[in-house]
Amino acid sequence: MNATADFYTVQPKDAPPEMEEVRKLLAANDLELDDQIEVFVVCRQKGHIVACAGLDHYTIKCVAVAEDARGESLSLALGSEVVSLAAERGQYHLFLYSAPHNLPFFRGWGFYPLVEVPQRVVLMENSPVAIEKYCESLRVQRRPGKTIGGIVLNANPFTLGHRYLVAQAARACDWLHVFVVKEDASSFSYADRFALVAAGVKGIDNLTLYPGSDYIISRATFPGYFLKDKGLIESSWAAVDLLLFRDYIAPALGITRRYVGSEPFDPVTKSYNAQMKDWLQQAPSGQPPITVVEIPRASIGGVPISATEVRRLLAERDFGRIAALVPATTLQFLESLLPVNNTIQ
Amino acid sequence: MKVIKEAIAGTVESSDLLVKVAPSGKGTRDIVIRSEVMKQFGKQIKKVVTDTLDKLSVSDGSIVIEDKGALDCVIRARVQAAVLRGCGSQELDWGRLS
Repeated sequence: MNATADFYTVQPKDAPPEMEEVRKLLAANDLELDDQIEVFVVCRQKGHIVACAGLDHYTIKCVAVAEDARGESLSLALGSEVVSLAAERGQYHLFLYSAPHNLPFFRGWGFYPLVEVPQRVVLMENSPVAIEKYCESLRVQRRPGKTIGGIVLNANPFTLGHRYLVAQAARACDWLHVFVVKEDASSFSYADRFALVAAGVKGIDNLTLYPGSDYIISRATFPGYFLKDKGLIESSWAAVDLLLFRDYIAPALGITRRYVGSEPFDPVTKSYNAQMKDWLQQAPSGQPPITVVEIPRASIGGVPISATEVRRLLAERDFGRIAALVPATTLQFLESLLPVNNTIQ
Repeated sequence: MKVIKEAIAGTVESSDLLVKVAPSGKGTRDIVIRSEVMKQFGKQIKKVVTDTLDKLSVSDGSIVIEDKGALDCVIRARVQAAVLRGCGSQELDWGRLS
């Protein structure tokens, strides 16, 4: 029994003395400390940290139990502690990253596998039915046709480049399904980004616009995406996100093509586009391949339109140049962000 | 009663169970049970869960259960706790829970 096991939480940002021990415990289990983790549950036994589990918003990572402390009761107590810690923080729908060989261990925690990148990682969630419920909600939106397209947009904010991509894809498809990234980790809020996409795609009749979900470019499926401004390119690994699209989302809607704008600037998005071809088209899967169509970016005066550039111009309050890059609806929104009496400064 | 927010009760330790409740979003009561002893006791677990929900008049909510071989009384207590948290219930009729 683990009668003397003492569970408590530590926050890496406070640099508590425990972190060195946690780092060592992880290293002994071939894991690295993930710097996105906000809080760790640790277990101290006879003076030593013998188990830890990290929480990054709603994703559990960096779980390790010291070899000499392994046994059902400690690991299940650790799982219960981290799940209840997440609940205290308002997170109930949880994801978890595990090495494939530890899958049975986390099944004991009430987590179920979603996708596996062979020999590397398994993404699990703490519900046996959540993904199926989500797919069911998509299935009712299925449309007839031979060519069914899918696009995922962050639209931070929506530009004429996005409009061009959506219009080109809609023209080439019988129907187009468009998803907006839900995570509130961008400069503009999800609500604002979604509203601008909705306004920006008006007039294109053969498309359905969807709110994003935890299963599409979220902190759980693609943590690296939200770090790109920090230049953390090594975290841009996107296989899990793409496999979810291939194995669940695309089959639910009958999507045969994924459209994406070519990426001349941002290395993370560029790498994502390249990985898209691997995981959606080539990788073995029980589901049919999805054709990846890369559409060259719309350009103004020879320069490809980018949301990054719009954000840069916004910081300079250069609305004259922004006007050339975004639809009127986005321009109005951006102008409304600044108090009128400040615009002279 | 109607589940209006997500809530949990219990643990995934041996002889316990973890009960998760959430709004169903469609006005129905959905129960999903996963148990290590489903083959032997699945029917009985389902009955205890359904009875407990009936006693609390839960008509709307999604209930997901991860059972680790808990006794009936533990199942009842955990389901009650999760439901009362998820319904944001202030006034309790303890008599109905017995």
